[in-house]
Amino acid sequence: MPSEADTRGDKSAFHTNAIGMGEIGVAKGDGSLRTFVGSCVGLALYCQREKVAGLAHIVLPDSKGKGEPAGKYADTAIPEIIRLLEELAGRRSLRLAAKVVGGARMFAFQTGITIGDHNVAAVERILSERGIPVLARCCGGEKGRRMSVDVGTGAIRVETMGFPVELL
Amino acid sequence: MTAYSLTQQQEIFRCAAVEASAALSKWLGRPTTIAINTVAALPLPEAVGMLGAGDLPLVACAMHITGPFTGLLVLTCDDTSGLALAEMILAGAGGSGRDWDDLQRSALVETANIIGCAYLNTVARPAESGETDAIMPSPPWFIRDYAAAVMQSIVMTQAISSDKVFLTHSDFAIAGSPVTCSLIFVPEADHAE
Repeated sequence: MPSEADTRGDKSAFHTNAIGMGEIGVAKGDGSLRTFVGSCVGLALYCQREKVAGLAHIVLPDSKGKGEPAGKYADTAIPEIIRLLEELAGRRSLRLAAKVVGGARMFAFQTGITIGDHNVAAVERILSERGIPVLARCCGGEKGRRMSVDVGTGAIRVETMGFPVELL
Repeated sequence: MTAYSLTQQQEIFRCAAVEASAALSKWLGRPTTIAINTVAALPLPEAVGMLGAGDLPLVACAMHITGPFTGLLVLTCDDTSGLALAEMILAGAGGSGRDWDDLQRSALVETANIIGCAYLNTVARPAESGETDAIMPSPPWFIRDYAAAVMQSIVMTQAISSDKVFLTHSDFAIAGSPVTCSLIFVPEADHAE
């Protein structure tokens, strides 16, 4: 039975690299990458063969040509995370898969299609255009999420306050 | 608002925090003090981390402000402070557990409404002079979530157009109790210039 997500702030048992808002992190071998998302989207890309994984904390769907910081926008974060992963893998070709978490509507007065909805749609569209399959997703709702990526396996742990832990 | 214009308006925000503190004191029947009162332009990660570790639970009552200026006004605190504050208001009528029941949520929402409106009344005075539209706060919306997720959502409105967030932050302490709470105002991007 999965444990309930941290509801009282106990510290994670994992040794993790924390990825902040609009940032990208990549790692090889083992360890994990972690971020928190509300209406933002956490995009995990990994290649199990090369044991490399990356995590982007995407804030907005479209850079509108701005491009910096690359991790902030879906259209710039995805090419950048792929470039970083290829670099980390010694420029070997990667067989990437994706998992997508976030895009919540945190406040009830956010009505209609929200920024979270746009973020998820943009990420999925760009991944589709690049032929990268989305193997799992945990999106929408009204709660924030703590997301941890196991670099070695690509497994995702999603904790939502007051709800059971989800493993993707 | 630019950093310059925000600095110019620091006195208005200071007065607003004083009014909010007075309203909180009247509501609780206890003296309150303002521990921190800042107006700042912060990089996104710093703004998100301003209330402490991201994985700590935070309760927040958020009001969406519309009218001559728009934005989010949010009362936040940790569980300990929030539940103690509710206990002061409810005098034992609410639950005594560590989880929030409807009465306790309602007590915090009403507190947000009272001090939020006191704050806005002061901030709105210069904005409303000559304006026909009044400042309209939405009813406060209660959430309890990871601090990082709450703060990300609060600053999102400005993250759309900037990598820095202009905000005001006031911490209130209540005499004779461990209760502290924060009132954060983030103007929307259109009005943050």
